[in-house]
Amino acid sequence: MKQRLLYISLLLLALAVAACAPIEDDLFTTARITVAATDGTSITGVQAQVKLTNVNTHQVTTVADFNGTSVTVELLRGAYQIDVEGVAACVGNNGATRHRQFRCQSDYTEIVSAHANEVTLNIIFLD
Amino acid sequence: MKRLLCYIFVIVTIKMVSLGANVDSALVEHTTLGQLPHLESLRNPALHGLYYRTSFSALSLGLDLQRQSQAFVPEKGTGYTLPYLKVNTYHHLNEKSAVWGEASYTTGKQHAVRWNSTSDYDLLQPYVLADTVGGDTRRERYAIAGGYALRLNRWALGVEMRVRAEQEYRRRDPRMRGVVTDLTLRLGAGYELGRYRLAATFEGNIYRQTNSVAFYREESVIPEYQMTGLGTEYSRFSGDKRSLYHDGGGVAVMLHASPVDHNGFYANVTLDTHRYHRKLAEYNSMPLTDLYNELAGVTVGWERKGRYHIAAFGHFDYTRRTGNEQVGGASDARYFPVIARLTMYKSHVLDGHVGALLGKEQWHVALIAGYASRGEKYVYPHRQLDSGHVYARLQGQGFLRPSSKLQLTLEANAAHSACVSDKFVMPFANMDASTSRLMRHKYDYAKANYTTVGAKVRADYALKTSRFGLFAELGGDVTFCSMSEHQTTLQTSIGITF
Repeated sequence: MKQRLLYISLLLLALAVAACAPIEDDLFTTARITVAATDGTSITGVQAQVKLTNVNTHQVTTVADFNGTSVTVELLRGAYQIDVEGVAACVGNNGATRHRQFRCQSDYTEIVSAHANEVTLNIIFLD
Repeated sequence: MKRLLCYIFVIVTIKMVSLGANVDSALVEHTTLGQLPHLESLRNPALHGLYYRTSFSALSLGLDLQRQSQAFVPEKGTGYTLPYLKVNTYHHLNEKSAVWGEASYTTGKQHAVRWNSTSDYDLLQPYVLADTVGGDTRRERYAIAGGYALRLNRWALGVEMRVRAEQEYRRRDPRMRGVVTDLTLRLGAGYELGRYRLAATFEGNIYRQTNSVAFYREESVIPEYQMTGLGTEYSRFSGDKRSLYHDGGGVAVMLHASPVDHNGFYANVTLDTHRYHRKLAEYNSMPLTDLYNELAGVTVGWERKGRYHIAAFGHFDYTRRTGNEQVGGASDARYFPVIARLTMYKSHVLDGHVGALLGKEQWHVALIAGYASRGEKYVYPHRQLDSGHVYARLQGQGFLRPSSKLQLTLEANAAHSACVSDKFVMPFANMDASTSRLMRHKYDYAKANYTTVGAKVRADYALKTSRFGLFAELGGDVTFCSMSEHQTTLQTSIGITF
């Protein structure tokens, strides 16, 4: 009888413990955002501001620390609207470098992977 | 529901003619402060069925009132006016079995509720629908409970069911409405092993609330916020998304060990886990948030019933509330996939106290002293509100018999809670003015000190020619808050005992 009571108690305790809350503490992730020209223009450098708006929380993160054509940013995992606006150093067919204003935009990009997220945005030149 | 209540009242009235008990001894046994060490174990229906020796029933008509000079918790308003009609009975069918039941109807008002358009705030906070206007709400509650316990040699078995149906609504914009259904089933078993009784309780609960806010006048439409804790909101689905529901429930397991004759050491262990999912009704039941309430508690005590009733006990419990936010993806025909879950809200309540009880059959005095710590955290952007209080509470109760027909029950209590630590972190630079005011208000009351004094008088008059008794009860208490505000509570009721 003692054993049976012990088993029942352990079973009930196990049931209660098994029902614990699933905790998702991996809140942040890293995203590498790359800008690229679809017309084959060679871009050697970018000076631009990237504005990432979390679609769900409306929190805005801005970053401008480009390395070449990419920028890396740490973000809350979620869905983002991304706006990039700035100047790109473009190399023409004659080898001369020309600075051109550009914009990129994405209405919806999921940045939810716990590890590195790669996002590539197409440039629209404004001139 | 009203018809069911009518049936119960009729059945109880018929029972009143055939049953009856010595109201005096039954009243003392069922209302004595001496039950204090056993309140936890009485959640076990098997132990509840064994605990009382007498049958006792009451039909009461009462009024509960509360007024606060300023809302201590804005989401709960500045008080309430709640008249009620209630019948409760506990009856021994024979030496081996007992039944008990309760039915009540409560209707009234909750005053000046702000930042909350959802019913059952204590249960579902912080995941409520909220607006800055608020106002009085009307409440209507039907509650029914019934239990049965049976003793089989060394075994005791019991079952109890509790049902609550409640609606809360407002008759002017913003017209909130919350309709609650709450069902709890308890199964209990106990086994006598030597001079000890070992017992286990299993409790299951199902909960559902449909919640909406409507506006009849176009010019009075204001945003409704999907609150996510410490003044934050789920921005994407705030504003005009005003129809949602909360689905939930949970289980609890309690283990008890106590001496059969109530002389010796006793212990209770409680594990409780409940979860509540908030879903948007108008977007194919898209889950917005999940709330997990978990409690672990342990009580160890010692009791002796001799010339004096003496008890000493220690209690510790830890409650953790965890909130997960569902990250909604791109919509497709009003369907939002969930692309991630983030644990953004964390809260805890830690309570440890020791207590002592001294008394005889006609009087009891209890003293409890302890420490309670509460903490809330919103992970990102970081927000935090913590407070720690030491507290002490003194309660006294006495039964007087001025004449053979009249019995008086006198109760008095005094309590003090003093804040010993607090912490408040809030990104005020990124908060709007109304949310900043709300959070400052919450902090002010979290770090406040509270002093309560109260008293209650009950008179029971036994009718000469029958087993019925009449009673009238008046009680009240005043709580003084160090914020120079106060709260007054009044309970009054009249009724029949049998």
